[in-house]
Amino acid sequence: MKNFNLIIVAALSILFCSCSNEDPTLQNDTPVPEGDFTDGFFVLNEGGFTYNNASVSFVNDQGEVFNNIFSSTNNRNLGDVAQSMSFYDELALVVLNYSNTIEVVNRYTFESVASIEDQILNPRYASIVGDKAYITNWGDPTDIEDDYVAILDLNTFTIQEKIEVVEGPEKIVEADGKLYVAHKGGWGYGHEISVIDLSTNTVQSKIEVSDVPDGMLHSEGYLYVLSSGKASWTGEVTKGGMFKINTSNLQIEEEFDFPDGDHPKFLVEYDNSLHYILGRDIFRVEPSNFNLPNSPFISTADQDISVLYGFNIHKDTVYVADAKDYVSNGEVHLYNTSGEHLTKYGVRLIPNGFYFN
Amino acid sequence: MKLLIRSFGLMAIFCCSIQAQQDSIQKLDEVVLKKTIFKDSSYTKTYSILSDSLIERNQASLTNLLNFNSTIYFKENGAGMVSSPSFRGTTASQTAVLWNGININSQTTGQTDFNTVVTRGFDQIIIQPGGGGVDVGSNAIGGTIALENRIEYNTGLQNQFLLTGGSFNTYGLNYDGQYSNQSSFLGIQLSHNASDNDYPFLESDRINENGQYQNSNLGLNAGFKLSSYDELRVYFNVFDGKRHFSLPTPNALPTKYYDFNTRSLVEWISDKDGLQNNIKAAYLTENYEFYPNIERDVFSFGEVRSFILKHSTLYEVSSSISLIGRLNYIRNDGTGSDIESETRNLGSAVVGLKHQLSDDVIYEVNLRQELNQDFENPFLYSFGIQASLSDFYAIKANTSKSFRIPTFNDLYWQGLGNSELLPELSYQGELSHVFTWSKQRIQLTTYYNQVENLLNWVPDISGIWRPQNTDEVEIYGLEVLTHLEKQWGDHEITFDQTYAYTVSENKATGNQLIYVPYHKVTAALSYNLRRFSAFYQQLYNGQVFTTTDNAQEQILGDFSVANIGLEYDLGKTQNYEVGVQLLNLWNVAYQSVQNRPMPGRNINAYVNLTF
Repeated sequence: MKNFNLIIVAALSILFCSCSNEDPTLQNDTPVPEGDFTDGFFVLNEGGFTYNNASVSFVNDQGEVFNNIFSSTNNRNLGDVAQSMSFYDELALVVLNYSNTIEVVNRYTFESVASIEDQILNPRYASIVGDKAYITNWGDPTDIEDDYVAILDLNTFTIQEKIEVVEGPEKIVEADGKLYVAHKGGWGYGHEISVIDLSTNTVQSKIEVSDVPDGMLHSEGYLYVLSSGKASWTGEVTKGGMFKINTSNLQIEEEFDFPDGDHPKFLVEYDNSLHYILGRDIFRVEPSNFNLPNSPFISTADQDISVLYGFNIHKDTVYVADAKDYVSNGEVHLYNTSGEHLTKYGVRLIPNGFYFN
Repeated sequence: MKLLIRSFGLMAIFCCSIQAQQDSIQKLDEVVLKKTIFKDSSYTKTYSILSDSLIERNQASLTNLLNFNSTIYFKENGAGMVSSPSFRGTTASQTAVLWNGININSQTTGQTDFNTVVTRGFDQIIIQPGGGGVDVGSNAIGGTIALENRIEYNTGLQNQFLLTGGSFNTYGLNYDGQYSNQSSFLGIQLSHNASDNDYPFLESDRINENGQYQNSNLGLNAGFKLSSYDELRVYFNVFDGKRHFSLPTPNALPTKYYDFNTRSLVEWISDKDGLQNNIKAAYLTENYEFYPNIERDVFSFGEVRSFILKHSTLYEVSSSISLIGRLNYIRNDGTGSDIESETRNLGSAVVGLKHQLSDDVIYEVNLRQELNQDFENPFLYSFGIQASLSDFYAIKANTSKSFRIPTFNDLYWQGLGNSELLPELSYQGELSHVFTWSKQRIQLTTYYNQVENLLNWVPDISGIWRPQNTDEVEIYGLEVLTHLEKQWGDHEITFDQTYAYTVSENKATGNQLIYVPYHKVTAALSYNLRRFSAFYQQLYNGQVFTTTDNAQEQILGDFSVANIGLEYDLGKTQNYEVGVQLLNLWNVAYQSVQNRPMPGRNINAYVNLTF
């Protein structure tokens, strides 16, 4: 029997390997940079659906990349599918779609301030007005009648009220005491802009646009909306369109259609012009000459981007995110406004947006 | 709990799994005349057989059984959740699962969810690595798992109750009964398994929320000897599974998933004057429902009904030469909330030759032509040779071409399906060295596999996914399987071990495929003394990449987990076994899919009554 025990001890020592004691799910890599995140830009990486690996990267002006700044600072994961980011005073709000959570951090340290986990379901985008955040929510994805805009009090971090809206509220913009909510669609496809009166927190009226309003912004008395139209795979293809809406009377003053098969995305204002993405190209529209542009302003074709998933322009620099195959770390490309490719940086899984302190 | 664990440690007796490595070499003389001849390539490739006693000692799901007893890596979304295999470095749909000879991979996903296959009630499960396209048809690229019910005559009445219970309110109720006389056989298997599955995550303050599951499985088998040379067999199986999907983050909306599958098979076997015939007619239904919110009665679904007809003929030209001919026909009718209603017809024809050149050498050649309306028809082949070079050493060599057809999702997903898809193709070769002496056995296999037209859903510039034939994958590896046993007096010890080294590279990028470990090891030691037996089994999975760029910070670390079990037979004349098992003995935090922690140490006890 002694021999047998020896065999067992030997077998055990071969077989038993000790494993590390770290939380195996924690996403943690590069250390957090010195400073207050003002000399560079944030990249929001939404992460893989169900993998709980959404993250925020920061790239400083020296070109150093710091990934996972939320988990490095707070020693826990950010969450699942980071949809968007908004800023208020010293705070940054990160909207986590599949986690049904808003993470509130100090925008200069990224230390957690609060987590809002209750009463929101499928949150998408937030717009800050005064000390309130208005957050669009799809609700239960299978229920097309439970969509709403949640009002978050930024002093108490509690949801105060919900404003019921039609299905699929996405981008949200404030102008002159009104909130404009673009209904891109969640389960189905939307084609409306809800106008919410902030004095009563009720939907005051609706503006019809073409299908799938993806981009929306307010500038100098006008609301600009870019609709993608329904793509062919939906089974009922429709045209994309661009709309210039006078916010004093909520009338569409000018509009144009996109050719069949063109489904533009994003809408960014820079240098008093509007910019959108079609395929691998960036197009520019002047509000004073509201017509379909003939040629692109900048093309990203040389960079061989796989999935153009994020776009912004800030201080003469154009930022474009490549989500690759969704199953590998993404890249961000920087261009100057003449269209020259400046540089690129590797970030984390599925970059979808650029934000600036 | 602690005391219990210590007492286990003190007993320091570990042991047992009964993985029989069947060696066809030793049975070569008799095997030529046996009906196993219908398994092509059974002489020139290695395979492993998991016996019913091993099946009973492992947990009820096919994932658990194979995880601890084979080289296959399992991607399990938490205990009991969706589970898919990577066999020899291949993708989830490149492993074929056969139920009594019929391929049961889902026609919508191409995969088998190994947590929807209840192992209780099967008499044996055969693991055959490598390309089996000629024999099995689609999906057999990484390998094949065959679930088999045996039909035997003249065994009288046998009843078996297996009752299990354990941590997290996990329990299983199983009955296996059979009766046979000289000319008839009837078997019935009932199994019900359920768990709250709310285990705590180790090194975290979370628990596995919304992970409860239950499933029921009914099997019926019957056999009738029609004459001295022919026989009719009937098999039926129905699986009804309801699972909630555990939450990836605490506030995620709870979802659930229902499976309902039925399988019916009628088989006629005849063996007369050197001519063997086997006709199988099968009807399978598969149905899933996914509920994005457990509170609401809104779901997406997919449903496929399949009719399968197979005719095999074997003619013994002489005592050393057999010719084989086969015709297969499959009709699939699919519908679903996201796929267009479609019907497809698939046919194939096979011819083969087996030739025993001498007492020591046998070779076999099989050719298969696919005949279908929807896509390119590959021509498949396998060629193999086996030579016994000495009393204890034999080599087997095999080369083959296999394929996988696109799934209903790939072809017919509304708006996104791609009707231009080609089948995946696989060209492989393998060489095995088999050493056997008395009851000991060591088997060493090296293989190479090149997969072309790999089917992937690839996003376009706007982020819309569409299925495409994209990549080429080069896979090579090494497998070592060992079976040792020793008996002295009333003592019996057996040791089984598997090791796989796997390189599976996307040829365009040079990167290892995701969720393919370079190393996997299983080992099991079992000890038996009269009425007492005990086992210890260990599983090691090397690290895996979870991103296609093999990003270092997304690597899922390696892990090593172990189970231990003790069993005592109380019965005097009959078997009344009681047993207790500690699973994840060393309480290791591990996960086989990112963000899907598995349970820590937990306990499981059972009573097994046979009469």
